[in-house]
Amino acid sequence: MDMTLNAFTLSVLTGLQLGSIYVLIALGLTLIFGTLGVVNFAHGALYLIAIYLAVSINNALGFGLALILVPPILFVIGVLLERGLIQRFYNRPHTDQILVTFGLAIVLQELLKWIFGANNIPFAIPSWGNGIIMLHDYLPFLEGFVVYPKWRMILVVVAIVTVSAVFALLHLTRFGLVIRAGMRDAEMLQFLGVNINRRFMIVFGLGAMIAGIAGVFGGPVTQVSPEVGMRLLVPSFLIVVIGGMGSLGGAVLAGILIGMAQSFTAPYIYLNTIIIYLITVIILLVRPRGLLGAKGVFE
Amino acid sequence: MITQNNFWQHNKAVLMFALVALTMPLWFPLIGGYSGLDTKIMIFCIFVVGFDILLGFTGYLSFGHAAFFGISAYVTGIMLKSFSDNIIPAIIVAVAAATLVALIIGLLTLKRTGIYFSILTLAFAEMFDSMAMSMLQRWTGGENGLTGMPTPMLFDLKMQGDTVFYFCAISAIILFYLAKRIERSPVGLMMKAIKCNQTRLEYTGINARKYKLLAFVLSAMYAAIAGALMVVYEPFVGHEFLGWHQSGEVVIMSVIGGVGTLVGPMLGAAFMLYFENVMSVDLGEQWLLVLGVIFMAVVIFMPGGFMEAIARLKKRFFTTIDGE
Repeated sequence: MDMTLNAFTLSVLTGLQLGSIYVLIALGLTLIFGTLGVVNFAHGALYLIAIYLAVSINNALGFGLALILVPPILFVIGVLLERGLIQRFYNRPHTDQILVTFGLAIVLQELLKWIFGANNIPFAIPSWGNGIIMLHDYLPFLEGFVVYPKWRMILVVVAIVTVSAVFALLHLTRFGLVIRAGMRDAEMLQFLGVNINRRFMIVFGLGAMIAGIAGVFGGPVTQVSPEVGMRLLVPSFLIVVIGGMGSLGGAVLAGILIGMAQSFTAPYIYLNTIIIYLITVIILLVRPRGLLGAKGVFE
Repeated sequence: MITQNNFWQHNKAVLMFALVALTMPLWFPLIGGYSGLDTKIMIFCIFVVGFDILLGFTGYLSFGHAAFFGISAYVTGIMLKSFSDNIIPAIIVAVAAATLVALIIGLLTLKRTGIYFSILTLAFAEMFDSMAMSMLQRWTGGENGLTGMPTPMLFDLKMQGDTVFYFCAISAIILFYLAKRIERSPVGLMMKAIKCNQTRLEYTGINARKYKLLAFVLSAMYAAIAGALMVVYEPFVGHEFLGWHQSGEVVIMSVIGGVGTLVGPMLGAAFMLYFENVMSVDLGEQWLLVLGVIFMAVVIFMPGGFMEAIARLKKRFFTTIDGE
């Protein structure tokens, strides 16, 4: 591969940016899966709700309010969904959980299509995030002029902050300790008198909220149309599988890996379309439980 | 005497299906169905009966059966276009190709639990979808779809109108009969044991993976036959044949009808296609939304689908008689 340092840097940034959206969606998926044991086929639809809310609030009231309102609204939606629907399925087969979330995904997608139409809605980037960043000002090893869209850099920063916050929550707080214990052995935790149900509710809300953050910042990049949810769900699922189901670190690692793989194969169209599946197959053959998957979890 | 009785008992469902199916052109227009939709219903009956061998018997939920349906449709189309307008070689090659793909995907996806299986089958179908749109564009026609096939022929018989319907209906009856035979066979029992308790089955020394793979490949073959017949019915293949919508549709049909009953999914297929094409006139664009709500209601309140509803009604009906 003959590549200049400039092109290499740009590919790394694009990889990070692609990975950022995947990571934000996969993080919620794997968090919900790891604690609740539910494969949420409606997670793409939650992202869909987020981008439609974000674009509506942004166009009417400005980006600041979208940023303040959308993640908490998504948290509430997540909590309501868990209480109203998902919790009925904890004692039913995994197949039923998949079916009901799949049904939910269709209903939400069709509902949004009905309200907002099937066409893409333009999502205007706020003025402070518009424009480009002069990379050569910051990275002296680059030659000449090298620029990158500012908003995409912001997206990467948002992903880093969100991931750090989730890790801090899980590893530095008592709440996180209980959640991590619940991921290991929920039954034992209940024997110890911990109200795990309330925490399950919060985790589902949290997963939805991360999708909300992803929607606010990702909307302008992924576009706003009804099929975006499902389009992002499949790679995000694969990232969860590649990283190891229920492993947060794995999801981050796999998300970046897939983002990079897609970015670096971009010049080779054919390879680019199947690279993510190729990586999945290789991982499945070499390391079936995923990069950082714990031994014995859903094997 | 006994054997005769058994024959009736075993094949009651098949004979009734045959009766309903073969008389369909007579009564279907009376309830607003148009000619051609009945053919499509027969084709999807084949698809869902095969799907029930996997989901109903083994409990493995595939979200990627559109892959086999679509691959077979494309291969059939290409065969008709460039080899011969006779459908028999086209169907044989198409089903063989889809079976081979199913074998590879099955070996990869059945390594671990059902959750992985659902996710990965979805992903592989999406892979074929994006391949059809990019690297295979030369053969698949990409966004425009595969067109320009000659009128399909069954040797000297033109496959048009009623001929296509009866060809599909007879195929459906035969394949339904075979599925019933599989259900009653020791192999079918093994498949059902996987759904009940796979771990226990494995502790008895039985290689569960072998039976899972068999169920997967068999259901893929049914999907492939359905895909091939779709092209015979309408000489066009679009990439939506491979998409998750197509896989999801089959899941919805099966669940609404009643998973694991073979008859139920066929009812589901008939209902959904009738709903999509006839009842949707009143609903317009929102038919899928309404269907989604019905689907969710079934999953939440009546996991046995239509068949459970029928069983409940029967029970109520008969208990009233007993009570009096």
